[in-house]
Amino acid sequence: MTVTPSRRTFLAGAAAALTIPLARPAVSQTLPPQAPELERWPDAFLQIDTDGRVTCVLPTCEMGQGTHTGQAMILAEELGADWQSIQIVMPQQPSDPYRLPFGQMRSVGSYGIRFFHDPMRRSAAQMRMMLTQAAATQLGVPKYDLVARDGMIMHADTNRAIPFADLVPAARLLPVPAEPKLRPEAERTLTGTNVPRLDTPAKTRGEAVYAIDVSLPDMAYAAPRMAPVFSAEVEAMDEASVIDMPGVLAVVPVPRGAVVVADSWWQARQAADALDITFTATEHDALDEATLNARIAEGLDRAGVPMTLQRGDPLGTLDAAETVIEADYQVPMLAHACMEPITCTAQATEGRTELWAGTQGHDWKRMMLERELGIPSDELFINTTYLGGGFGRKTWHHDAAQAILASRALGGRPVKVIWSREDDTRFGMYRQTMQARFRGSVDAEGRITAMTVRVAGPQMGAAIVQENNMDPFSLLGLVDQPYAVPNYAVDHAVVDIPVPLSAWRAIATSFTGYWMESFIDELAEAAGMDPLAFRLLNLPSDSRARPVLERAAEMADWNDPAPDSVHRGISVVGSYGSMVAQVAEVTMAGDRVTVPRVFAAIDCGRAIHPGQVETQIQGSVIDALGPTLRAKITLQDGAAVQSNYTDYPLIRIDEAPEVAVAIVETGAPLGGVGEPGVPPLAGAVCNAVFAATGRRIRSLPLSDHGLA
Amino acid sequence: MTDFTLNGEAVTSDADPATPLLWVIRERFGLTGTKYGCGVGACGACTVHLNGQPVPSCALPLDAAADGEITTIEGLAPDGNHPVQQAWIEVDVPQCGYCQSGQIMATAAMIREVPDPTDADIDAYLSGNLCRCGVYNRIRAAAKRAAEIARS
Repeated sequence: MTVTPSRRTFLAGAAAALTIPLARPAVSQTLPPQAPELERWPDAFLQIDTDGRVTCVLPTCEMGQGTHTGQAMILAEELGADWQSIQIVMPQQPSDPYRLPFGQMRSVGSYGIRFFHDPMRRSAAQMRMMLTQAAATQLGVPKYDLVARDGMIMHADTNRAIPFADLVPAARLLPVPAEPKLRPEAERTLTGTNVPRLDTPAKTRGEAVYAIDVSLPDMAYAAPRMAPVFSAEVEAMDEASVIDMPGVLAVVPVPRGAVVVADSWWQARQAADALDITFTATEHDALDEATLNARIAEGLDRAGVPMTLQRGDPLGTLDAAETVIEADYQVPMLAHACMEPITCTAQATEGRTELWAGTQGHDWKRMMLERELGIPSDELFINTTYLGGGFGRKTWHHDAAQAILASRALGGRPVKVIWSREDDTRFGMYRQTMQARFRGSVDAEGRITAMTVRVAGPQMGAAIVQENNMDPFSLLGLVDQPYAVPNYAVDHAVVDIPVPLSAWRAIATSFTGYWMESFIDELAEAAGMDPLAFRLLNLPSDSRARPVLERAAEMADWNDPAPDSVHRGISVVGSYGSMVAQVAEVTMAGDRVTVPRVFAAIDCGRAIHPGQVETQIQGSVIDALGPTLRAKITLQDGAAVQSNYTDYPLIRIDEAPEVAVAIVETGAPLGGVGEPGVPPLAGAVCNAVFAATGRRIRSLPLSDHGLA
Repeated sequence: MTDFTLNGEAVTSDADPATPLLWVIRERFGLTGTKYGCGVGACGACTVHLNGQPVPSCALPLDAAADGEITTIEGLAPDGNHPVQQAWIEVDVPQCGYCQSGQIMATAAMIREVPDPTDADIDAYLSGNLCRCGVYNRIRAAAKRAAEIARS
């Protein structure tokens, strides 16, 4: 339970060089005291220091989604800790209690609260019961007369209280309760409230330490120079071309290029730009946006594609239908464009490789670095900093590998690699570009009679593909769409593209939600029905989509005529265990679409922190609006065209809609919050654009159509 | 050698005068609250005050700061309790927080010039500051609250 030697070592050594002390409470860059001893003490998620300080050991990183505060609330409430004294650390090495259902410690899938809620409550309840038992023995009173609150076990009748710290030595010798008794709902007074985020003070004073801020004694800085065409390798490199430039220490070959190491990052950057380096020709050197799109479009007509989902007789029903609505949809590649670019600091010494990283992918880094650099898992230690955004990009290991190789080349000096904004934008791990062909029919009453969806494009989740060619990274949002469609089919014609891809916030549903909700509007139009009424008619009576749709519509006064010049679109998408409906209001300034207001309703089960649910949904809407209006990644000569926020434009405050958020609690299980606000937005906006212009927007962004 | 004032202290840097001020502040003087975002003055994460005016330090060569007064987030107010910081805490603005030093520096400069900012003022003064998490609804509320605290 005490602070361990390794933690002390870190604080005495490396942290002394941190120029900005971490504010309390904040994310510590230290590690939890020891590997969890679940057999002896339920301390995977909680440590009680000898001075009484309660430390939450959290399995997911803090990249803005607020999970650290939410998880700490769950733990502190169940334990009865003093909220003001809560500390947070993350483990330096992954282990089972911190792993997600698929067996990895990663901060993905909007899992932070919904997956860890129950195990955290159980652990905290076990610890509380053991502390209570120890107090009962010490005070000579029945344990049922004791309460755990504010970091103490209290006996109200005799007005006595014992701090947790004093009970730890006795409590830890007690058996761990196999069936911990959770606090009743009436005692859950912290979750469900808007306590201030733990990280806000540090983040408003410039004190929060992100990966790019890490400072270690004798640290050098590195900037990469990488092949612009993704599959190219280094053909020739002349180290002498830059080695005499000011501050340059070394030029280190790395996969796909080199990193230049120098005394300062600016010197490294200048030299990386000046480096005389050539790359191999590849078969993709002529690839551009049009050829890539044409290659994927071939998949729309392909025969012999395995059926992923089929019910009823969709093809027969469509053949017999009087009218079949058919539409092809497309989305481009997207960059994550985290405001903190890709960066990692490494120190590689004999038998120990240490990283300082803002990472979403602890196990992924571990696995990839073992595979590519031969680093045994038990020799890799990851100090997790705050992340300046993640969005699915920061699971990867390439920056870590560069920093490790550079540190090795410098004999174990710590090296911080920073990718420039241009590197960050150009060197891939994009959201995939995908296309789809929808066909559907409705009957005279407006009921959907049949629908087929052919998806064409890369199979980003090839490694996790399930039976019947079911790739969750490509098809979620389609195979689980909420409407009652008696005759329905989904398949996926896989078209590989030579571009490195990565999960992008909401993954498949970031585009399938847009497609499905646009096509549903097309069917509503064909049925001559109001888009909301059409959805309600075609949703099962027990669908979770109904309450959120009805709430969002109510917030937007959907059933009243829109004011002059305001046009509305509606959309509902379920993802990551939650259901979100949105109504977007669009006004037109000439041909230019503006989105002044969005109304959103979310059912995420119980809201652990309603204020954070609200801000996540607001942020998701604004995040999704960027690629709806203008942002996309395209290729020219085999390389990405875009390079910075100037040509990858995201939403600024002057274009940000006012987003009203309602939380609808239906008694559903806990759902995710970080991602589910993204999928409905593009469909809601494009449906409003149809209301405004009569134009169906079947590919994004709107700027491609002269509308933004 | 370039002399300037950094958060009220006279300092000297021997870095190449063409080095962007951002990297001198961060690496030479260890003030990492000012962030690198784009390198071309397009995102505002690196906003500092030069003689009281908000500037993107990533696109400002060191010699442009010669003999000037530079204020960073760390020097905005003693104890980090500037009205803008108070308002940011009250409204619980940040998500990832990476852009917030820049947002706060830009807002602090705004309310000095515009004591009671309208939505249009906020759009004009803060549209150079990108927030990738999209917390603009809260930034707008906090900017108005900051102005209110400063006026009181």
